[in-house]
Amino acid sequence: MAERRGTGAGGGTPVTPAEIEDLPDELDYEVQLESLNQWQLAWRRFKKHRLAVIGSTIFFTMVAIGLIGPILWPYDPTSITRPDQIVYAGRPPSWTTGDWNPLLVMGETGRLQRDVFQLVINGARLSLMIAFVATTISVVIGTIWGGVAGYFGGRLDTVMMRFVDAVLSLPLLFVILVASKFLGSGSWVTVALIFGLLGWAGLSRLVRSQFLSLREEAFVDAARAVGVSDSRIIFRHILPNSLSPIIVSATLAVAGVIVAEAFVSYLGFGVDPSQPTWGNVLSNSLEFITQGNWWWPFFPGMAIVLTVLGINFMGDGLRDALDPRSKL
Amino acid sequence: MARYIVRRVLSAIPVLLFISFMIYGILLIAPGGPEARFAQNPKITAAQVEAFRKRWGLDQAMPVQYCRWLGVCNPDNTGLAVFISDNGVPNFLPAAIGGGDNGILHGDLGFSLRDGRPVTVVIGERILPTLILAAVAWAIWLTIAILAGMYAAVHRYGLFDSVLTVFSYIGFSLPTFWLGIMLLAVFASGLKVLPAGGMWSTRDVPIFGTPDYWAFASAQPWKAATDLGTHLILPVFTLVVVSVAGDSRFVRAAMLDSLSQDYVRTARAKGVSERMVTMKHAFRNALLPIVTNVGLEVPFLFTGAIVTETVFSWPGMGRLSIEATNSFDYPVLMGVLLIAALLTVFANLLADILYAVVDPRITYG
Repeated sequence: MAERRGTGAGGGTPVTPAEIEDLPDELDYEVQLESLNQWQLAWRRFKKHRLAVIGSTIFFTMVAIGLIGPILWPYDPTSITRPDQIVYAGRPPSWTTGDWNPLLVMGETGRLQRDVFQLVINGARLSLMIAFVATTISVVIGTIWGGVAGYFGGRLDTVMMRFVDAVLSLPLLFVILVASKFLGSGSWVTVALIFGLLGWAGLSRLVRSQFLSLREEAFVDAARAVGVSDSRIIFRHILPNSLSPIIVSATLAVAGVIVAEAFVSYLGFGVDPSQPTWGNVLSNSLEFITQGNWWWPFFPGMAIVLTVLGINFMGDGLRDALDPRSKL
Repeated sequence: MARYIVRRVLSAIPVLLFISFMIYGILLIAPGGPEARFAQNPKITAAQVEAFRKRWGLDQAMPVQYCRWLGVCNPDNTGLAVFISDNGVPNFLPAAIGGGDNGILHGDLGFSLRDGRPVTVVIGERILPTLILAAVAWAIWLTIAILAGMYAAVHRYGLFDSVLTVFSYIGFSLPTFWLGIMLLAVFASGLKVLPAGGMWSTRDVPIFGTPDYWAFASAQPWKAATDLGTHLILPVFTLVVVSVAGDSRFVRAAMLDSLSQDYVRTARAKGVSERMVTMKHAFRNALLPIVTNVGLEVPFLFTGAIVTETVFSWPGMGRLSIEATNSFDYPVLMGVLLIAALLTVFANLLADILYAVVDPRITYG
């Protein structure tokens, strides 16, 4: 008979069947059976992942700031705080100078005297919107491309994957630079489209590898045997089984787009410089660094770091939570 | 083994061809172009522009232009003879045995639209600065990443391991250019202890790479070295912080993996000292994935850190590509892109082959 081991914190000593017989009766209690589906189990594991909870709190706070911040904060991003006064170099955050002015927590930029806090919250709105739209596009393309290649295999797979190889060998940044020059940068939709249309290659590799192994499973054979169409097998039978790596990489892709958008804007190929994305705020601040305007690039940069950090924590938590074998 | 390598090399050729086609196609449809600079000049007539286009073959169909740029077609011939060089052999063969001398296959990358110099010269003078910056940073971050990753793996869940984990999470999340900007704000414009970008002090050191510079460097080697060193500190620091974050995690994972293997337990059971187990049994085996990863970082040494070079105005390849994009200098941009793609494919190849050579367990199907 297989030896059973006690579980729990103090466990570890072998418990023989005889000992179980000897256990006092009051340990008998009714067990409430609760059936949980995969998502509920994953949610339960996710809640136990401390970093993931912290990360998603940070991230969703940023999303909330982006959604409602611009409505609540009194300044609008294009207004000049005090047109009567020309303070060319800007003003540092109020808490560094001693006078507590809640409307100036992050200081004021040089030249146009914009409130930095207001730029940060409006930047959150634009930057996150770009990241979401771009990620959605690339996840859809990557899933379909990788799914079709992995499901059908053979020559089609070879051709499609060589194309992915080529896309991945192209330095993405240059293609983005040229594409944004070509499509005309300016509106955030264009920028999001460019990132979405160019960022799917890595994900399609992942989806393909999932499909390659899943299409050999018995349930796919069964579906095929009863005459289910290929597209239905791909989207209704295989895809739900490969969702968890897709979700994780989509989460991390949001972080990637935020950083890439900031960098492309910094180089002047992103959204129109008058629009306050985090990247634009950073790039506008550059010429004032020599005047000691540290607060101008510091706070939008910190917003990026916090958001990306939060997403990375969340992605790690999701990876563990969505893995049914993980022991969280 | 030899068959595997040959097949792997052969499979890289269509990928390279496809990349070259995409690079050419993308830049052909992009705005600007060779004759764009004449548009603002009232003294240049339409007929002259037309003559210019004809002279450089810009009036040809796109496949013909691509074929000539590639070096498979001979621009001097017409009809089916385009594939034959002036010496009567296929044009794509090397010039030494009678092939053509045009196109990228023969090392002809064209001329820069900005200053008319050959692209190979323009790129050539950027390689050394890029190599200096990338190699110094690479050596430092690789050393730190290997040492830190190993230590963290051996003392798993210890204080150092936790600190390294937190550090690498933050390092992952730091946008490189923002780190660079803040470093400049603090050390260059705030404390004024380090130069705010560039590669040499323009006041008392000649332009890097010129004969003047080498004369200066041999006359005052100490001054030249400290000057270069102070300009290197901030960009190298930026690169190291961002890269150590990823690579140390990688080393740690590889090391943990090999520490949990049976041969490590066997070695411990034999009574081998812990030090020997770590250094000899575990680390040597952990080197496998590390070497592969390092192989994949090789292209970076040549194409340069675009972000870091841009923020610190380092005159390297990465910055060159941004400058070329900004000024619509497509021949230069194509040259940089091509070199980058070539190196990426080559590094992938090298990593695959290295892995197959180093790990005897791998079979080549």
